[in-house]
Amino acid sequence: MGDLFSNLGLGFGVVFQFVQWTPSFLGGMSIPIPVNILLCLIGALVGTLVGVLPGIGTIATVAMLLPITFGLPPVGALIMLAGIYYGAQYGGSTTSILVNIPGEAGSVVTALDGFQMAKQGRAGPALAIAAIGSFFAGCVATVLIAVLGAPLTKLALAFGPAEYFSLMVLGLIFAVVLAKGSVLKAIAMIVFGLLLSMVGSDIETGASRMSFNIPELADGLGFATVAMGLFGFAEIIRNLDAGGEGDRELVQQKVTGLMPTRQDLKDSAPAILRGTVLGSILGILPGGGAVIASFAAYTLEKKLAKNPKRFGRGAIEGVAAPESANNAAAQTSFIPLLTLGIPPNAVMALMVGAMTIHGIVPGPQVMQKQPELVWGMIASMWIGNLMLLIINLPLVGIWVRLLRVPYRLMFPSIVIFCCIGIYSVNNAPVDVVLAGVFGLVGYWLIKHDFEPAPLLLGMVLGPLMEENLRRALLISRGDGTVFFTRPLSASLMAISAFLLVLAILPSLRKKRDEVFVESET
Amino acid sequence: MTDTQHSVAHKSILPAWIRGPQDFFGGIALMLIALFALWASSDLQGMQGFSFGAGTAPRMFGYLLLALGAGITAVGVFTEGPHLQVYAWRGPLFVMLAIVVFALCIRPMGMIFSAMASFMVAAIGSHETQWKETFIVGVCLTAFCALLFPYALGLPLQMLPTFLIR
Repeated sequence: MGDLFSNLGLGFGVVFQFVQWTPSFLGGMSIPIPVNILLCLIGALVGTLVGVLPGIGTIATVAMLLPITFGLPPVGALIMLAGIYYGAQYGGSTTSILVNIPGEAGSVVTALDGFQMAKQGRAGPALAIAAIGSFFAGCVATVLIAVLGAPLTKLALAFGPAEYFSLMVLGLIFAVVLAKGSVLKAIAMIVFGLLLSMVGSDIETGASRMSFNIPELADGLGFATVAMGLFGFAEIIRNLDAGGEGDRELVQQKVTGLMPTRQDLKDSAPAILRGTVLGSILGILPGGGAVIASFAAYTLEKKLAKNPKRFGRGAIEGVAAPESANNAAAQTSFIPLLTLGIPPNAVMALMVGAMTIHGIVPGPQVMQKQPELVWGMIASMWIGNLMLLIINLPLVGIWVRLLRVPYRLMFPSIVIFCCIGIYSVNNAPVDVVLAGVFGLVGYWLIKHDFEPAPLLLGMVLGPLMEENLRRALLISRGDGTVFFTRPLSASLMAISAFLLVLAILPSLRKKRDEVFVESET
Repeated sequence: MTDTQHSVAHKSILPAWIRGPQDFFGGIALMLIALFALWASSDLQGMQGFSFGAGTAPRMFGYLLLALGAGITAVGVFTEGPHLQVYAWRGPLFVMLAIVVFALCIRPMGMIFSAMASFMVAAIGSHETQWKETFIVGVCLTAFCALLFPYALGLPLQMLPTFLIR
């Protein structure tokens, strides 16, 4: 317990760090500036700003804003990115409540009751409850990360290559089982991602693989490039052919009366609590944590409610539960990343990308060697959540105005932003074209109902998986049974096999589809 | 994700035994990608004793993707599934063109020119574009980027065309 507090103390110390700023125009006077808090604030603001734009989900937002953190020191960059992430999530729920266009799968269910509330003129309470629920969930999840962080790191240090490989297999299987849609297609997307990650030079022999002597490909496909293409450009193209303006039905009344009534709070308190618990648990599991969490929380509320018919007609619990759940899951999904170094979902995969750019290899070593980085980030999560609560409620008016910006002006701006962003990563024009190509690939994937998120996950895990597979086989002198004879690895593999069988079994598949079916009714 | 209102019945063109064209062609495309990857990694070294060569993992994933693609194609043949969706050409074409314009111009012409040019090209992608308003927004956005990236974010970007700097 003492450890926990000293760790959190260290974290808050990092977040509240002041840097003396001595501008020349003040004649030698220096002003202390809380740099990291400012970065967190800017991140949350900018994240919300982009996340609010309809049709742009969390992954796209984080991918687009990745380049703006490159110039910062690692701690600051990660704090800002975390801020962007929460901001984007909150922005996404704002869009689903006000315009009924969920930016991402996670807020689809929020749109069901949230938009109905908005139509009844209760947009204010809906937004407020979403923020309050998210804040509460965020607080709980932050504590959970702090508590679980250290012991899991110790466990991770006992892992050999075989265990790591099995763990990654388990993670990918989870991603498939918890994802929406066809299991076969999701696995195919992961393998496609793994294959893409092979482009570039081989880690051990240095041989150039599938790079066709193109110098820009020699280092492999840039992670930010692919993400920006698949989630940024592809979304733009898809929104364009959906007609842009046609299905935008903005709530025209003014958003008045922000504060929820006492009755609202009373109704939603248990929902927030249940959502938080459910979200925290599901978030730790690798896979589409936040998405399944919000769906599951909504389904649970509907099952528990005395009068389930209210759901879909503006029940405040229908906003409170999924919003708390998806925020809790979004945060607890940092746990596998920070302790084991394995990204459980696409956003965390982007975080890995960002960390690698700053020269940090995520994993148990980071927690020991750079504790200020990890704990600073954990502490900043709490601060970030607090900021969202404070800044977003008064700023709702601005977000609403932003939603009125016509798409015809918005999309070229996003294109330019993405272009400059990608170019600034390596100063390579080829990267920009590559992102464009992946935009087209992403558009094609969407048209064929393939999910791009598992692809991204596969791409990040590819090199890690290959390395650990090679090492494990080298240590065991080519004996492939090593994955099934070492107890820890064997149990991980057994769980994966079990999950896969469950996912394919017809009875369970029906249940799984039932959870997701809410979005269509 | 699926916009069903865009899927038009293509029954007349496709043979009747393809029951789920979306999966069928999706699977075939994945198989083609896998075959391409297998071909591209065919010159790499394979297993040496019990240690992996450079080509082992790519080939492994290549064959896996090939098998999965075949599976998805089979699903498309044996089960009833959604039809192909209609592709728009205008959006993808001009967004892609804007990206290429940006990539070609950024080195010789600097950011201000490329951002503006690329903005205008991208704007053709929507049939709702009104030129006067687009132009004004384009100028404002370019100015904003010219301040944001080099000054606020400290990214070293060349602003003006090379021939003006020399």
